[in-house]
Amino acid sequence: MSAVRRPQCVVIGAGPAGLGAALAAREAGLGDVMLLERDFELGGILPQCIHDGFGSIVFDQVLTGPQYAQRFIDRVEAAGIEVKLNTMVLEMRGDRRITAVNPRDGVFELEPASIVLAMGCRERTRHQVMIPGYRPAGVICAGAAQRDINIEGLMPGRRVVILGSGDIGLIMARRFTLEGAEVEGVYEIMDHPGGLTRNVVQCLHDYDIPLHLSHTVTFIHGRKRVEAVTVTRVDENLKPIKGTERRVPCDALVLSVGLIPENELSKQAGVELDPLTAGPVVDERMHTSVDGIFACGNVVCVFDLVDWVTQTAERAGRSAAEYVLEGGRRKRRPPVRVTAGRNVKFVVPQLLREFDREIELFFRVEHPERAARTRVLVDGEELYSRKAKMVRPPEMVKAGADPGGARRELENITVEVVTEEEEA
Amino acid sequence: MARNGVSPLSLGPEKLPSRAGLVVVGGGVIGCSIAREATRYTPDVVVLEKESDVACGTSKANNAEVHSGIGEDAGTLKQKLNVRGNQMYDEFVRGLGVELKRQGLLIVVTQRTIPRDGGMPEEERMELLTRKIPAGIVAYGENAGIRGLRILSRDEVFRMEPNVTREAVAGVFDPTYGLISPYKLTIALAEHAVINGARVFLDTEVTGFRVEDGAVRAVVTNRGEIESSLVVNASGVFADEVADMAGAGGFKIHPRKGATLLFDRQVTAEYVRSSVAEFRLPGQRTTQSKGGGAMPTAEGNLQLGPTAIEVEDKYDTSISAEEIEEIFERFHYLLPDFPRDALISAFSGVRAPTLEEDFVIGASEAVRGFVNVAGIQSPGLASAPAIAEMVLGILHDLGLPREPRPDFDPVRPAPPKFSELSNRERNRLVREDPRWGNVICRCETVTEMEVVNAIHSIIPATNMDAVKRRTRTGMGRCQGGFCHNRVAAILARELGIHVTEVTKDGEGSPVFLGVAKEFLGGGTR
Repeated sequence: MSAVRRPQCVVIGAGPAGLGAALAAREAGLGDVMLLERDFELGGILPQCIHDGFGSIVFDQVLTGPQYAQRFIDRVEAAGIEVKLNTMVLEMRGDRRITAVNPRDGVFELEPASIVLAMGCRERTRHQVMIPGYRPAGVICAGAAQRDINIEGLMPGRRVVILGSGDIGLIMARRFTLEGAEVEGVYEIMDHPGGLTRNVVQCLHDYDIPLHLSHTVTFIHGRKRVEAVTVTRVDENLKPIKGTERRVPCDALVLSVGLIPENELSKQAGVELDPLTAGPVVDERMHTSVDGIFACGNVVCVFDLVDWVTQTAERAGRSAAEYVLEGGRRKRRPPVRVTAGRNVKFVVPQLLREFDREIELFFRVEHPERAARTRVLVDGEELYSRKAKMVRPPEMVKAGADPGGARRELENITVEVVTEEEEA
Repeated sequence: MARNGVSPLSLGPEKLPSRAGLVVVGGGVIGCSIAREATRYTPDVVVLEKESDVACGTSKANNAEVHSGIGEDAGTLKQKLNVRGNQMYDEFVRGLGVELKRQGLLIVVTQRTIPRDGGMPEEERMELLTRKIPAGIVAYGENAGIRGLRILSRDEVFRMEPNVTREAVAGVFDPTYGLISPYKLTIALAEHAVINGARVFLDTEVTGFRVEDGAVRAVVTNRGEIESSLVVNASGVFADEVADMAGAGGFKIHPRKGATLLFDRQVTAEYVRSSVAEFRLPGQRTTQSKGGGAMPTAEGNLQLGPTAIEVEDKYDTSISAEEIEEIFERFHYLLPDFPRDALISAFSGVRAPTLEEDFVIGASEAVRGFVNVAGIQSPGLASAPAIAEMVLGILHDLGLPREPRPDFDPVRPAPPKFSELSNRERNRLVREDPRWGNVICRCETVTEMEVVNAIHSIIPATNMDAVKRRTRTGMGRCQGGFCHNRVAAILARELGIHVTEVTKDGEGSPVFLGVAKEFLGGGTR
């Protein structure tokens, strides 16, 4: 094996998070940034997202996925960041030693001064939502189907049932339709859609595709290839109601039933994970529990807007650069934990250490609520408040608060949602 | 393109030979064991398998257990062959390149073995639970010929398996219990047989037999006829139908389904180290199976199961919501904190019991030269070496040569597995061929070269599932989400077919139904 290399920063994953982090680290003064990507091209999931809707915050423009990615790819190339494609990280240790492999270099080792985790997420599969039945060809996750159609030019189904109304499921309903396939319907176990409202309108309503709320798939038929699925109405506890079964003939079942941050490497390195997000616990600098390892984007928690992924990436890249330039000597102050209060499912970052700049918090609500107010309480004092007509789980909320540069010792930060009704 | 006589239809059909010394019907673990053992005496062996790969029936969907025989009824053929098969296993797999792990079985005696409210004085109850029952289990096993059994105290149970219920009061450890990948074993046996002259024909279904003067003369298939005066019927759940085709039947297979849940091996590694089963008194079992257990697979995933449900359809490998719940409920007692969320897959297989629930092995009295090997349900995998030995004895009596061949090759070379190699070995391979450095399946770290090797192996993998059984592509936590298109593309390239012709597991299971724009009327392939 060749000598161990010691770059200033290694970014794992070259989707929007990795691209943004590598650039930020480079621009913040690191000369030796290396970007590792397991796919054959840069961009992560974006090249297959040929629909628009990307970039409204970061670029104040509406771009397609490939366009959004290309803006970063061009800059990464111009910045002289070393990119290794087709490269799989086999192991990452807590002392920041990375073992990776690719066809050109073989197995090689790196000992970078800092690491940014940007591995993104994977799709939940049929077994994780426990759909009974046979195991034929034609059961596929929505993101995988999107790649088949948009990158490979292959159709994984012709008469399709979609389970789950997450954004990818909605977008794929439209995509299949545009390709001449028939989408029998989209079924959603919850009593509200799982994706953004604009996607429900633009992907289903505009194409007369029915959305069946409070329904799930309870059986997959077909020994060799999907022949049909049984769909069933569910009660308020999400349990199928006997007698409401309906057999829907189809040749493919497309699943959009959730995303899971890909943290197998993080676990190997001993990075502390948050059970609520399934991603690393990070502070406001996107620093994980392991010294010198940062994280950003969907590996931290599943975002619904790529623009916000980019924002966390820039923060992580900049922080990694600061960490390296300070020689890793900055003492990390003891953190204050951010509490997810009423109707808040999780908050990122989970920890705050320094209060000399504005805090940005991303959070998701647990259930939809009308006439709601989101607020941030710092030691009981309301430092942020915003009214919303509606808060919904699919739409992540970003809140900012300025603790006033306080050098004082803070004890508690809580994010919560309150309704007018409650306040009255 | 056919190599060593192996010729799946997708590689261009090779003609069946006009005659063979021995024809084995069924390419499961039993058929392939018998075929491999037969090649020690003659290369003139043909295996016929109706599916696109070997190990496609019960052999691919069981719990990988090499039982000891302790769960079987005394005096049955099953128990006799199980105990002997277990003892033969290390020798049986030597040279095959398939790992046998003897992780042992822990039988846990719990509080509910004799419920507290049964009216028995507590002292007497505990005496039974901690001494008499464990001693009884040991005596029963020793009587069957199982060696090395030992009684464990409650503390020893927890030291061995910390995740077992606090309700445990004692245990018995059976060190002979083992695990082996049943499909890897079957594939290796088939390849080893081919190395020694046998020919395996896939996609070849037996449709009848020619029987003259009370003796079998030929096997009729969908691809022609093979003359042979020796036929072994090892066709699993279809053994009754195949025997009836020859007029050599007289038994009935009633399919019984078993479902198993499979967990992410990164989460569940070491969750249980041995197979763990709860001891139940006769009458406490709710199903017609030995009750199942929690055990690691040969590859380290935790598995829970199986269920036992009588079904009509011999192809019924479905799993119902009730079964999944039943498994969760059953193991909630034995392993109260098992990691539900790490569930990555569930599978179901169909057992092939006869009404008598024992193995049916013997030469047909009605048709000379026809040997039935039927009713092989659990512990069939464990018994395979002893079943093959017994069948070879019968075949010798019916005219199979008795003299061992001096030219028998004892080794079946196994292709390297990237994930199991040292970095030095990995680098040597990547320098030889860069495809060794191209990771195709990220969850299981499978490289392009391993997929290529599987496709061009002695029993070639010609579809997604066949590649998966040989390499583990798509077996991990993403279940093929990231790699299915890459594996399909490699299959298409290596087999010289269009990617839309790639199947999941043979005819009728295409992975893709067309190319983009095709359904709009404008697409071309």
